[in-house]
Amino acid sequence: MKLSAFRKKSPWILHYNAGGCNGCDIEILACLAPKYDIERFGMINTGNPKQSDILLVTGPVTKRSRERLVEIYSQMPEPKVVVCCGVCACSGGVFRDMYNCEGGVDQFIPVDVYVCGCGARPEQIIDGVVEALSILEKKTKAMEETVQLKNQPVNEGTQLNRRNTAAAIIQPQ
Amino acid sequence: MRILLIVFAPVIGGLIVGFERIIRARMQRRIGPPLFQPFYDFLKLADKRKMMVHSSHAFLGLMHFISLWFALAVLLLGGDLILVIFLHLLSTSLLILAGFSTRSVFSHLGANRTAISVLAYEPVLIVIAVSIFMLTGSFTAASVFSYPAPLLFKMPLAFIALLLILPIKMKKSPFDVADAHQEITGGVELEFSGIFYEAVFTAKWLDYIFCYTLVYLFAGSNVTLGIALIGFVFFFTNALDNSTARVNYKQMLRFSLAVSFSLAFVNLIINILL
Ligand code: SF4
Repeated sequence: MKLSAFRKKSPWILHYNAGGCNGCDIEILACLAPKYDIERFGMINTGNPKQSDILLVTGPVTKRSRERLVEIYSQMPEPKVVVCCGVCACSGGVFRDMYNCEGGVDQFIPVDVYVCGCGARPEQIIDGVVEALSILEKKTKAMEETVQLKNQPVNEGTQLNRRNTAAAIIQPQ
Repeated sequence: MRILLIVFAPVIGGLIVGFERIIRARMQRRIGPPLFQPFYDFLKLADKRKMMVHSSHAFLGLMHFISLWFALAVLLLGGDLILVIFLHLLSTSLLILAGFSTRSVFSHLGANRTAISVLAYEPVLIVIAVSIFMLTGSFTAASVFSYPAPLLFKMPLAFIALLLILPIKMKKSPFDVADAHQEITGGVELEFSGIFYEAVFTAKWLDYIFCYTLVYLFAGSNVTLGIALIGFVFFFTNALDNSTARVNYKQMLRFSLAVSFSLAFVNLIINILL
């Protein structure tokens, strides 16, 4: 049996709130509580990027939190997957187009699974994580790349544009 | 038999940890992970990318594991108890050094707190070893294993003292200040990742075997009593872990030096006088 088969059996979660209202966070914590008990799948909420496999992000990315988000993502060793919990993390949700809000998580780091709902329900979160596990199993270590945005003013524009400008800063052609 | 126990100590420790996670989950009315969960974690961590902070950090983590295994081997083969305690101290200090060798604040905090917890349990262990010497006339564990009457009835206070410091050694509530998962996310082990984290991760399993062997010492040559004691300590520490919150390090130090140490000391004096 290959080692990658065991990724599915012990997913360790890192949970980061990028500026949401805490509604999704308590749903994630509800997953750990006796009713849903995701520890029976071997999941642990580690709180430590260096030892976790799944990054659960909630809330819209604010101007203050985007550097931390990218930093945390780049500190996680590959293979890793990112799951967006709640509509805020997917697209900005109710905070979209506010002056302090940058929009969805996928503008800064590659996202694998989107979980919708404003408070995403625990069942949905578990579904999303299970989906992420099948992606995690297929991933190779070389697939992920991060986008560093230090001191870069954020322009309005499409997701793709923003990611490309950021990539151009790292590797100027 | 003992050689087998030494060689397979990490495996047995892993099984104990898996069983303990099930028991802890059942105490909280959950189902809990499968029994082999620690080994799944182990194999998964072997597959992840290694993010070394620097090579001596990783090396110190590995040496922590190896020296702990060595201390365990000396204990199980019936070596000198004082030597065993200091070998264990050596392995812990390697971990503390590893914690201080990074620039992470959490790692430093964890190393600080590990040093303080060493301060809390080490004197008690030494006093227990000295009272074992007073009783059996020798410092070696072999003399305890072959002692006719169980030590438990001759030195019950020392056993209570050991029971009170075991949560510190096994990093369980209320004395898990060194680990403090919700607070400093593991402390010293924070900067380890991938295959190097496994050294620290499996060292914890070895620590369990070490602690339970210390408990077993109190049964002397009586195997049944030894197993009963280990079972009792297992359930006691888990029930304690589930029912208490963390105290801060000052309270831990005060408690262990005031209560555990004085219990062990009174026991020593009784042993000397009788
Ligand atoms: S999706 Fe809804 S519940 Fe979740 S963080 Fe956003 S506003 Fe709060």
